[in-house]
Amino acid sequence: MYLKSIKISNFRNFTSLRTDFYPRTNVFFGQNGSGKTNLLEAIFVLCLGRSHRSASDAIIINQDANFYRIEGEIVKKSEGVQSLSVAFEKGGRKKITLNKVPLKVAELYKNFSAVIVNPEDSNIISGPPSVRRTFIDIYLAQYSQDYLRTLVDYQKILAQKNAALKKEIDPTPFSELLIEYGVSIMIKRIEFLEEIKDATSGYYHQISGGDDLCFQYKPSVNFNEGMVSKNDIKEAFESCLAKNREREKIVKTSLVGPHRDELYFSINNLPAREFGSQGEWRTAALSLKMAVYHLLRRKRKLNPLLLLDEIFAELDQKRAESLMQSFDNLGQLFLTTAVKPPEFLKRDSRNYQIEKGKIIDII
Amino acid sequence: MFKSAGSVERLVNQLARLPGIGRNTRLAFHILKLSKEEAFELADAIHEVKEKVGFCSVCNNISETDPCQTCSDPSRQQDIICVVEDSSDAAAIDKAEGFKGLFHVLDGRLSPLDGIGPDDLKIKSLLERIKNNNISEIIIATNPNVEGEATAIYLSRLLKPMGVKVTRIARGLPVGSDLEYADAVTLTRALEGRQDI
Repeated sequence: MYLKSIKISNFRNFTSLRTDFYPRTNVFFGQNGSGKTNLLEAIFVLCLGRSHRSASDAIIINQDANFYRIEGEIVKKSEGVQSLSVAFEKGGRKKITLNKVPLKVAELYKNFSAVIVNPEDSNIISGPPSVRRTFIDIYLAQYSQDYLRTLVDYQKILAQKNAALKKEIDPTPFSELLIEYGVSIMIKRIEFLEEIKDATSGYYHQISGGDDLCFQYKPSVNFNEGMVSKNDIKEAFESCLAKNREREKIVKTSLVGPHRDELYFSINNLPAREFGSQGEWRTAALSLKMAVYHLLRRKRKLNPLLLLDEIFAELDQKRAESLMQSFDNLGQLFLTTAVKPPEFLKRDSRNYQIEKGKIIDII
Repeated sequence: MFKSAGSVERLVNQLARLPGIGRNTRLAFHILKLSKEEAFELADAIHEVKEKVGFCSVCNNISETDPCQTCSDPSRQQDIICVVEDSSDAAAIDKAEGFKGLFHVLDGRLSPLDGIGPDDLKIKSLLERIKNNNISEIIIATNPNVEGEATAIYLSRLLKPMGVKVTRIARGLPVGSDLEYADAVTLTRALEGRQDI
């Protein structure tokens, strides 16, 4: 798939912008604060209905407006040109349409796919656990069609159970549902992480020049590794909940379940969060996203849009070039750079110079 | 005009209390445009419905009589009770004409977020009915969403020890639809609830 054109109204520092894109590499360059990253974000929101940076739609509206709207034409081999729009008005609900027909967010995930790599990604390794879960959720929802629905229901159940604990209402029926939905979330997470494990280590080895990166899924429900049958996990979940029942009543919140899952990274056998450097974290996150990109490509039988925000800041020219080579003949690519685009990017690409929320030149 | 603005405002506020309307002045102005007779008929209808319609003391369904027509109809199966969240659900099931037993309206669903726990639902009167009338089966027909499912789980845990058969309405494919368009959650549930033919 590729994004043929985009029209943006009142999104971050863009009041109004319309442009066509090139089916291969698109480079956005301009000074800091010009809006390069916002343009990537707009493309991501158009594809998946949410921002990778902000959970709130109100924040991404231009400060002088009360709504944002992003429209685009997406070309897919199977369906030809499709028009897509995502709009949000303050105090209202997000409206998504595909060929003018209203669409649910879950349907967006079924139809389109995008992977973004950005400087804040080092948080996946170094930040709080919620960042790692959000990472898993955004990409697993693109990998498995039902994941998002199960997750949304899980969150509803969790909210009800927590409310029950706070108001001293019997939480048991919600605990039972929590187990049912939680088990299928864990099974999907195990499968997804298993799929990207080796590739992530491989990319890290390649980019870092020989270092080892590993990660391990640590679900809040303890079960023995290798124990992946649905029933085993269900039993482990049940006994873990039973053990924590009294404590949950005291602290008035749900202590067990996928909403407390963790992912541990280690570099050369040392915990990455404690011992890793900023550069290592970013390389690790980049490797992770590359693995995800190639997995989605294989599984979805389409090329996800790949959005690379300032990745040349940490890579030397040789590594950057070899990285770009690994995307040769693949899908559509969008990348930002504060400096003038390097020579090797000029092949098969179009360059957009951006200044103060406007495209001032296309080379 | 300014003098009457207060009463228009009052009407708008009253209408806004109805679900799905909000502060919609269009509806208020539509009522303003009605003839006096038409408007009073509407007001009368509202008045009458509140005067006459109450709740059945047996099944808690809305009714003009007590017990309601369904509960006092001897041709209905007296030993099967279909438990629903609201009167509108009972009406929908009755309209489908596939069910000839009795109803029990819970008057809500478990939703701790809205402060609704088991004590806020009409569950005690359901237990009384099961104890005092030879009930052989309870069909739980709460909605197939998170709150409805939790309510169903709660009820089944409560009722099964009483020795009554507890069933849950099937969740699955809508009649007249195509398999290939069904989402996976629905399909999985439909498969789980498969039956001998």
